[in-house]
Formats: sequence, structure tokens, C-alpha cells
Amino acid sequence: MKTCDLAIVGAGPAGLAAATEAAELGLDVVVVDENARPGGQYFRHPPAGFRPVGETPWEKDIRRGQSLFAVLGHPRVTYLPDAVVWDMPEPSVLAVAAGPRSGRVQARAVILAPGAQDRPVPFPGWTLPGVISAGGVQNLLKGQRIVPGTRAVVAGNGPLLLLVGANLVRAGVKVAAIIEAAPIWRRLPAELVRLVAAPPILAQALRYRAILAHAGVPILAGWTAVEASGSQAVDQAIIAPIDETGVVDRARRRRIDCDLLVTGFGISPAVELPRLLGARLRYDALRGGWTVERSADFETSVANLFVAGDGAAIGGVELALAEGHLAAQAVARRLGRLHAGEGSTWEARWTRLDRFRRGLESLYRPPRSYRALITPETIVCRCEDVTRAEIERRRGEGAASAVQLKAATRMTMGRCQGRNCLPTLATLLADWAGTEASAIAMPRPRPPIRPIPIGDLAVEDLPPPDLPADPHLPRGRR
Amino acid sequence: MTRRIDQGIDRGAAFRFDFDGQPVVAYPGETVAGALLAAGVARFRTTARSAMPRGLYCGMGMCWECLVVIDGRPSNRACMTEARPGMRVETQRGLGGPERS
Amino acid sequence: MPRRVEIAVIGAGVAGLCTALFLARAGREVLVIERGAAWGESSGANAGTLSLQIKRNEVLQVSRRAIELWRDFQEIDGIEVGFEQIGGLRVATSEREVAMLRRSQGEQAALGVETEWLDGNRLRDMAPWLGPDVRAATFCGWDSMSVPLTGGPGLARAVERAGAVLLADSNVVSIRQDGGRFRIGAGGNSIEAERLVIAAGAWTGQVCAMLGVDLPVAADVNMLTITEPAPHLIDRVITHIGGILSLKQYPNGTCLIGGGWQGRGELAAGTRETEHVSLMHNLRVAMQVVPDLAKLRMVRSWAGYEGVAADALPLFGALPGVAGAYVNACARGGYHQGPALGEEMARLMLEGRTGLDMRAFDPRRFA
Repeated sequence: MKTCDLAIVGAGPAGLAAATEAAELGLDVVVVDENARPGGQYFRHPPAGFRPVGETPWEKDIRRGQSLFAVLGHPRVTYLPDAVVWDMPEPSVLAVAAGPRSGRVQARAVILAPGAQDRPVPFPGWTLPGVISAGGVQNLLKGQRIVPGTRAVVAGNGPLLLLVGANLVRAGVKVAAIIEAAPIWRRLPAELVRLVAAPPILAQALRYRAILAHAGVPILAGWTAVEASGSQAVDQAIIAPIDETGVVDRARRRRIDCDLLVTGFGISPAVELPRLLGARLRYDALRGGWTVERSADFETSVANLFVAGDGAAIGGVELALAEGHLAAQAVARRLGRLHAGEGSTWEARWTRLDRFRRGLESLYRPPRSYRALITPETIVCRCEDVTRAEIERRRGEGAASAVQLKAATRMTMGRCQGRNCLPTLATLLADWAGTEASAIAMPRPRPPIRPIPIGDLAVEDLPPPDLPADPHLPRGRR
Repeated sequence: MTRRIDQGIDRGAAFRFDFDGQPVVAYPGETVAGALLAAGVARFRTTARSAMPRGLYCGMGMCWECLVVIDGRPSNRACMTEARPGMRVETQRGLGGPERS
Repeated sequence: MPRRVEIAVIGAGVAGLCTALFLARAGREVLVIERGAAWGESSGANAGTLSLQIKRNEVLQVSRRAIELWRDFQEIDGIEVGFEQIGGLRVATSEREVAMLRRSQGEQAALGVETEWLDGNRLRDMAPWLGPDVRAATFCGWDSMSVPLTGGPGLARAVERAGAVLLADSNVVSIRQDGGRFRIGAGGNSIEAERLVIAAGAWTGQVCAMLGVDLPVAADVNMLTITEPAPHLIDRVITHIGGILSLKQYPNGTCLIGGGWQGRGELAAGTRETEHVSLMHNLRVAMQVVPDLAKLRMVRSWAGYEGVAADALPLFGALPGVAGAYVNACARGGYHQGPALGEEMARLMLEGRTGLDMRAFDPRRFA
């Protein structure tokens, strides 16, 4: 088993910042990341074979990313790309699936920086080819310099929509409209006081707004996509007004021709590992749903297990960078490599960014629920093609609990391990129980927390198993 | 319009791979999903249960929607697989191979 | 006012539901009392393997009858239990295991269960997907599989259709025998029954203790792993002479891998988790037997309790010293045997004798 002072899960902004800080403070660090190239989603960049010619709108982020990637070549840092953490049998041990490099890593402390995943909001037609998540489109733009369509509608909730819209415009795509569920224009004046806490981010947002305005892209606030239509791929987005309680006014619906419907209803922290280890979580709708409870040092309720960035609670790239530095400093103090009182300017920065974040969250607070979008024929579980009507039919037959509904419909049992449907199941269960999704306990995940090739389990040297002398006799304890 | 953004980038030397018997152009470092989308292909597979069309969705390896058959092997994530010259990519129908009768 | 019934069955797993089914079909008034949800524990969390040839000699007849009943559930009663009789291969991977398999085959033949010996080309012809380490196997045409996940709700509905009543979310906390009746306290309910069947799986020891009877019951914590759906490859139910592998591929393409590898957990605490290193060993055995599994992804693993009597034979019969009380639980492979054990329990209670020879399972052996 490989050992180190600090193991970091994820080589996105928070993980890279943590690695940088920790390496400078003299810690031996292992960074495990499931992507082939570092940067996570935000600092996704073109492959090495793409050579820049002149200046493009993305160069600044690429240069910023590359300065962060430098730490991966540091002599005290071991970087494992294309490596999936599939289990943590102890809070100090990572089980890594990485083809011939598979095996376990033992660390004195662990910083989880797994980032976020799309928050699934099902509506009729959301499974059609050409309906792509905002993060997915960003990755194509940043990592491949490819646009997946020619005429786009960008729909959902949150500041990412402006960014994706502006990027598509700059890439030459006709963007027909930005459909934002929150009434942001009405709320904006009240939130300005907090938004000015981070002038560079605000300035950036205004730039995106200007690009969209210049291209004549309308931004409809208080509207939502209610359907994607098409037979083999999307050819129309249907939109309608949605109010703050989630009521949709279908009488005012409109159709927009498009071959690309970008959907982004926000993102949720990837809390599988904290959940697996029994760390305390807290429901915070504005920060992505289930978030990880942390001390001021970003430590979870499990000793020596830290979480930084969007993987704990959605806060954006700048906050993630600050938390990566601060969490690594906390680990260094824990391991005696940094004395209390020593530190940096990251605290003040974090405080400022946190204030900005609150303003942004308040501005973009989503409708209370999107359940009105989930019509009976809507696919809820994409892996097993399970519709809302089928779930309700099984419920009518007596499958009352989450466990019984899963068994009856096979929802949550596919390759995505419930990532695309568990939040919806919680919403439906909450509806039926007359409560909120926050009151619905989520099942504790079991390893593997990502699907991994079984062959990866054959790599590590293990002591021979203790085989039963008589397989019929009890193998456990009385 | 071209779906490849050429401004500010030199992609190097193009190569081809095969998609359902048709040649598809790709550049070094592009993913199978990227090259297919650049060629205007949105549908990557049909589902096992209801034969519904699916394509790229999350683009980051989490949703398992963009599965294709590559060189006879099913269930590769097009968004996580780098395109290689001469590879044989097919639309994945259902499980991507023989199913039980 | 207590609820009065003729027969109370404690436990709505396969043993309890099948006992209730046959009693209700005979016109008896039956109430099934379940601590959680019907089919919620071992019956829903096991591998669904219905392999005759892996059973101990003592339970071969019961296990064969059970396969007939599973088939009837599916084909006659229309209960969707996912039953498929595809035949099974019990493999051996070392000289020692080959010898064990030979011995077992001979013993089973003497008891009327014929299997076919396969090695060399004949084995590869039948199962080209087996790895080179598999030296021999016996083929048993009786061997079958089922889908535990979906079988439960169907069976529960069939039990209700037959006239029995299910009382879920009712944990039994007390049992008293009073004036020839059992007074049962369960989840706030008070129930009076003339006769009582304890079919509480891993919890059977606890329930019997309420009547002052001490039965030695262990709770194994068996792990299972399921793969992503894959093109069809494995067309038999695979088991292992060493008892360390069960493997099957379902029509939807997923492969279910088990073998009694132990997770971590305590029945009293309600914990049952997978154990990292044992899980790896489990999957290594699976890859040794079917090397192509290495290319498939594992998607989920879980662990479920299996109540097992100290000698791993069923606890079946009248509860010693408590007139009117019966126990039907804790057979090794009890999911498989459940329908036949239920049928025999009903027969015992209704006719005072069993069809098959069940003497070896009498709980008095521990008295």
C-alpha cells in the first residue's frame, strides 16, 4: 500500500490549490483524479496537440490553469490521472481503480475535492440527443473547441447559463434565447450590495451579458424549458413561464427551433465519499442540495477528512481555490508542519468570496420545485428508461418506500448509480409524504462509488483469502 | 457552419476513423464524442429497454449516456475515449451485442 | 382488543410467505407479522441461485421439490419470480477440488440426483467462456435462477390473494403463551393466535428466546456484486465446489456475483456493509472462473444477512416445549428451499406429518 502525508481526491481547482499549498509546506502528497488531464471541469483545456495561434477568449483561463498544473510535477507530489477512487475502506485509505496502477493509498489526512455533478431536472424529451448539460457543452468548448449544434437554446437556472450562452455566441453559434428560471432582473437591485464584494467576477458577468446583448440574444427570466421535442434528436425547445413556487403557465408556452438545447439547472456536490464514510451532511437548497458539514478548517465530522470546493457545497471556482489552500494549511497544522497563527491572506479572500456567493445564490434562488416539469411520460431514470407514470403505477401496487420502488422499477440501479434519478425520487417521495426533499434520507452508497472494471481488482497484492473448510457451515459470528 | 472552432487554434494533422461504415474526421486529442458531434452526429446509441435514442449528455463521464461500440467492444463512453486513427466505432444498440432470446 | 387469528406467522421472507401461502390455500386464517417490509431482508438481498447440486445431501429432496415449486410460481401461478431453469455448472479449480467434486457427485447420484461430469473439450464445448483454471465441472439440469428483487412483491400479493393478511412494520417484541393462545406484541399491535410459526430468518434466535427456547443461530453477512448490463455471455448458473462463487447473467445483461464472502455487520446493530478485501477476493474468484468478467464494470455491491443454524441444516418443526409453536427458518440456502419448506410446514400443521423426510431438521436436535 502506498503511503503519504496527504491524499487529495480530484485535480480540479480545489484539489490543485490544496496540492500547491501542501507541497510548499513540505507534505508528501498523492493526487488522484479520474480525468486523463488535470483541471477538473473549470480548467478543462485543449489537448496537447492543439497549438494556440494568437489570442482567444480562453487563453487567460488556460494560462491560469497551467500555472496550477505545475504542482503536479513537484518532487513531493505523486499525480495519478485516469484513476478512480471507488472505495474508502477507512477514512485514511483510498482504493484506486486505475488499470495496472490500481491499489490502495494510505494517508495521514485526506482532502476530498471531487467537485460537482449536474443537478438532474427531468422534463419530457430531456433524453433526446442534442439536449446536453451546460457542463457538457462547456467541456466541449474548452476541451475540444467543438460546438455540438448550430442553433441553441440555453435553459435552466444559474450564472453558468450566461457564460455558456456567451461562449456559444463567440464560437459562432446562433443562440436563440437564454431561459432563466429565476426572476433575476427583479431581484438584482437588492443583491448588488453583496455582489460588489467580488468586482472581478461581477465584471466578468457583465462582459458575458454584453456579448449576449450585442448578439441580440434575449434573456427570459422567470421562464423554463418544459419540453424538448424531436424524434431522433431535438428540433424544438418548448418554454413556459415558471413562478417562484414552481407553478408553470403552460398556456403561455412558446416553441423555439433549435438543434441544441443546453440545460443547466445548477450543480450538486459530489458527496458520495463523505456519505460512504458517514460524515455529517446538511441539506442546503441554495448550495446544491446535500452539502458536507465542515469545521472552520474544512474538516468533516470524520477526523482528518477534509472537503474543499464545490464537492462540499457549491461556491464556484474562486471559492474552491481559496478552500483548497486553507484546507491544506489546516492539514499542515494538524501534521505539525505549520504553526497556529502562521497562514496567509486566503482567509480574508475566502470571506469576501463567501459574501459574493451569498449574493449570487440569493439572486439565482430557483423555484421551490421543478416537479411541474415531470409529466407522467417523462423519463425519470435515464439508465433504465423509467417514467414517472411507471413509478406511480408501482406505488399504486404497494411499493411505498424508496427501496421498494427501486426494486420494482429498477430505477437508481443503472450505471449512473442513481445520480440522474435519486434527487427526483426524493422529490416524488417528499411530495407524497407532504414534506420537503430535505426530509428524505438518502441511501448510504456502497462501493464502488463509480462503476469500475472488475479487472482492476486483480492488480493489488493481497494476502491469500481465508477459505471456509466447510462452505455450508456459518461463516460469520453467532 | 463548421462545428469546429478554428479561431486561435492549429489542430494538427487530421485523421479518420470509421463510424457505422462512414469515415469521420478527427484531430489528435479529440474524443470520440467530440469528433462525432463535429460531424453532425447527435445520436450515439439506442437504449436496451425501449430503443430510445441517446447522445452526449453530461460530457464528463458521469451519466453513461454516450455509450458506443468501439472495435467490437460495447459500452465505451464516447466523451471519455480519445479518438484514434482507424478505430471502428458503431452506434450501440441495446447492450451492444447478442442479447438473450 | 387484541386481534384474533388462527395462525400467526412471524416473518414475511420467503419461508414465512410460503408457509402462509400453503396454509391460506388450505383455507386457514393466517396473519403474517413482519418487522419491516415484506421480502425486505435476506429474501430480497440474496443471489437468487436455485442450484440443486450445491446443496448438502440432507436437503437434496427438499431442494429439488423447491425448484418445482419456484417453477410453478412462475408458470402456473403467474408470479413474476424470474425463474429460469438454464442448468448449472459446479466448477473445480484444483486437484483437491476435483476430488471433492467427484465425491460429491457420487453421493448425490446415490441419493437420486444425477449430474454430468465435464472436463477437457466437453467442458469447453458447453462453456467456452470458462477460464483455463477450471479443471472440471458437473452439470445439473435442475439448476435454475430467479430474481430475488422482483419476486417478493409478487409472492406477497399471491399470499394476500390466497386470503392471508400481511402486517408490515410490526416488530415482535413479546410473545406469551396464555390459556392455549399466543399473545404477541408487535409494533403497537396486540395479536392472539392459536398457533404460531416462527420464520424470522436471522432473527429467529431472538424470537424463539421470547418463548424461552434457545436455538443456536448465526447471522452471516453475505456480499453480492452486480455488473453493468453486457451482451449475453454466461448461459448457465455457475457455482463452485468450494462454496466461494455464485454467478449468473440475467436476461437484462447484468451479471450477479456472490459466493458467501463475508461483509461486516452486526445483526443487533442492524449494520451490514461490504468488506473491501473480501470483496476483491470474491471478484478475483469470479474472474478466475470467467476471465471475460475482467472487462465488465461492477456497478453495485451490497451485503445481506443469512440466518444459519449451527449445523447449517434447516430449523423445521415443532418448537420444543411450546405446544402449538413451530419454527421454519435458517436453512443454508433457505431462499432456494423456502417454497418446499413452506409447503411441508403447512402439511405438518394441517396433517400432523410431512411428505418428505424432515426428521434431520427437527429443532429438538439442539434441545
